[in-house]
Amino acid sequence: MSGMSAVKLRGPEKTITRAMREARIAYWVIIPFFVYIAIWNLLPLLLGVLMGFTEYNALTMPTWVGLRNYIRFFTQGDYLTLLWRQVWIGLICLSLNTVLSFLIALALNIKSRAKGFFRTSMYIPAIAAVSVTSAVFVSLLDPLTGGANRFLAGMGIDPITWNHSQFWMVFWVVVYFIWRAIGPATIIWLGGLQGIDPSLYEAAEVDGASAIKKVRYITLPGLRFVASYIILTGIIAVMQMFDIIMFLTAGNPFGQTDTLMFRIYRYGAVTFNLGMAGAAGTILGIVTLLFAVVYFKIVLHREAREDA
Amino acid sequence: MHKVTAVGLRSLWYIVMLAIAFIMLYPFIFSLLAGLNTRTEFGHLGALFPVPSEPVWSNLLIIFTPRGIRPVLNTFMRTAWYTIIVCIMSVLMGYVLSRYNFKGKKFFITAILTTQVIPGVLTLIPAFVMMAHIPFVGGNNWMGMGGRGLINNSLAIYLPLGWTFLIWVFLFMQAMKGLPRGFEEAAEIDGCGFWRTIFQVIIPMQLPIIAVIAVNVALGVWNDWLIPFMYISDIQRSTLPAYLGQLVAALQRFGDRDYPRIFALSTVAIIPPFIIFFFLQRYIIQGIASAGIKG
Repeated sequence: MSGMSAVKLRGPEKTITRAMREARIAYWVIIPFFVYIAIWNLLPLLLGVLMGFTEYNALTMPTWVGLRNYIRFFTQGDYLTLLWRQVWIGLICLSLNTVLSFLIALALNIKSRAKGFFRTSMYIPAIAAVSVTSAVFVSLLDPLTGGANRFLAGMGIDPITWNHSQFWMVFWVVVYFIWRAIGPATIIWLGGLQGIDPSLYEAAEVDGASAIKKVRYITLPGLRFVASYIILTGIIAVMQMFDIIMFLTAGNPFGQTDTLMFRIYRYGAVTFNLGMAGAAGTILGIVTLLFAVVYFKIVLHREAREDA
Repeated sequence: MHKVTAVGLRSLWYIVMLAIAFIMLYPFIFSLLAGLNTRTEFGHLGALFPVPSEPVWSNLLIIFTPRGIRPVLNTFMRTAWYTIIVCIMSVLMGYVLSRYNFKGKKFFITAILTTQVIPGVLTLIPAFVMMAHIPFVGGNNWMGMGGRGLINNSLAIYLPLGWTFLIWVFLFMQAMKGLPRGFEEAAEIDGCGFWRTIFQVIIPMQLPIIAVIAVNVALGVWNDWLIPFMYISDIQRSTLPAYLGQLVAALQRFGDRDYPRIFALSTVAIIPPFIIFFFLQRYIIQGIASAGIKG
């Protein structure tokens, strides 16, 4: 403690040089990282927006076409269908995942020696890359030799040609998404549940509240921030989901499971329709942020009303 | 009566949770079993549990061939590289942002948080295009035209630094709030400068949070198949998960399907994350939970 007061006694001119020294170090540390990250992230972000106003195939110089790509997006082709499909498939994935992970977190939020094992098993799918685990689903769904149809045959059910049905392919995309995403969401919910003050439950018990009432009036309000986090990151994730689609269905049957993000990926990395990729990417990015903002506004508005 | 229902509920809980745990683990069991089949046997079996009549362990050794080992080594090198870089970045930036006062500090913190909500779709394709147009490399002229830039060049999977990594800077900043300033002040009185304070005070005191960052970054980079998949087509310069991505994407086309090879490679690709997970599970869980609660 005597050391600390000694520092303070050194007088004002020392303090100023110290502040300057700190600022100099801080800039030396932060600015190189910021510049480097800006080169690899901010620059592409701006280039992508610009690219949307050009016609560009990566071989010849881009030509400026103004709003043509944007007009085309909203008037021609199947872009709006693809955007809508991205939204509804994403909505199914996100809402089911949010609800199921919450239920499992509730089930795991008890004292049990087996709890650790179950929590671990929930999380394991998330530690393997999509490219590493999706082959299992592809193989099982093979219409002729796949395990799923053999299993159905064993039960006396007619085999299903999975990859000829939009319903079944979306079904399996959702199953795969949840299989992978449920673990992290469960852990975040569990973290939120454990953060709730136990004395609130004790007080409710004294007042004779039922289990459902405890969930409604203590658990759910206590999880507001955790819920917002899961849903906001979830919105951003599902609106850009294309890897699962690419590996499980490749957009088939007949493009009926193709989504906007998968199309953007193909335009960008396969067919080099870069102008359209830029425009569609910008639109999808803005739509994603709009969803996030709308969600945020609804939550904030409701909370403001509840607090009032 | 009350006791009977309690026991019943407990058993029901166990049955349901065991069923869920089984579903979560099933694809890994399938992958392991299928990878030990011969191609002909796998084609005939088509079972939910493709137990091989005679396990072909040599399938797993595919990676120890001269061509097979490169993608594995690349994955290790890339993982190590990004883990080190991100840890250095998080410690240095997190430290100055939490302890030093300077103009623009608020701006930097806001910028870090803002980048976390920017959808990746906005940068994915343009970054790829930019990589192809870096001047003076891969046959490009000064305008970045004419060649293929860093596409298919090993550097492409080491140079980019995604801004999603900045979340770990924020996490380190939060962790600094829990460390009393007394330690640094004592070090300063002993004459420690910036670097010595970092190495002799901050890093030793903050090892747990650095472990959280390292483990989560390592897992994420090991599993990042997309960047190598997009930027590099030559598997000798690519990573194992990206190579698997190529093989799995090809399954959607017509043609010959060597499932056992894919599953054998998958098994190998899962082993390092599994090892990290089983030994360092609490760091991963803590990373997820704190990103959710503090973020």
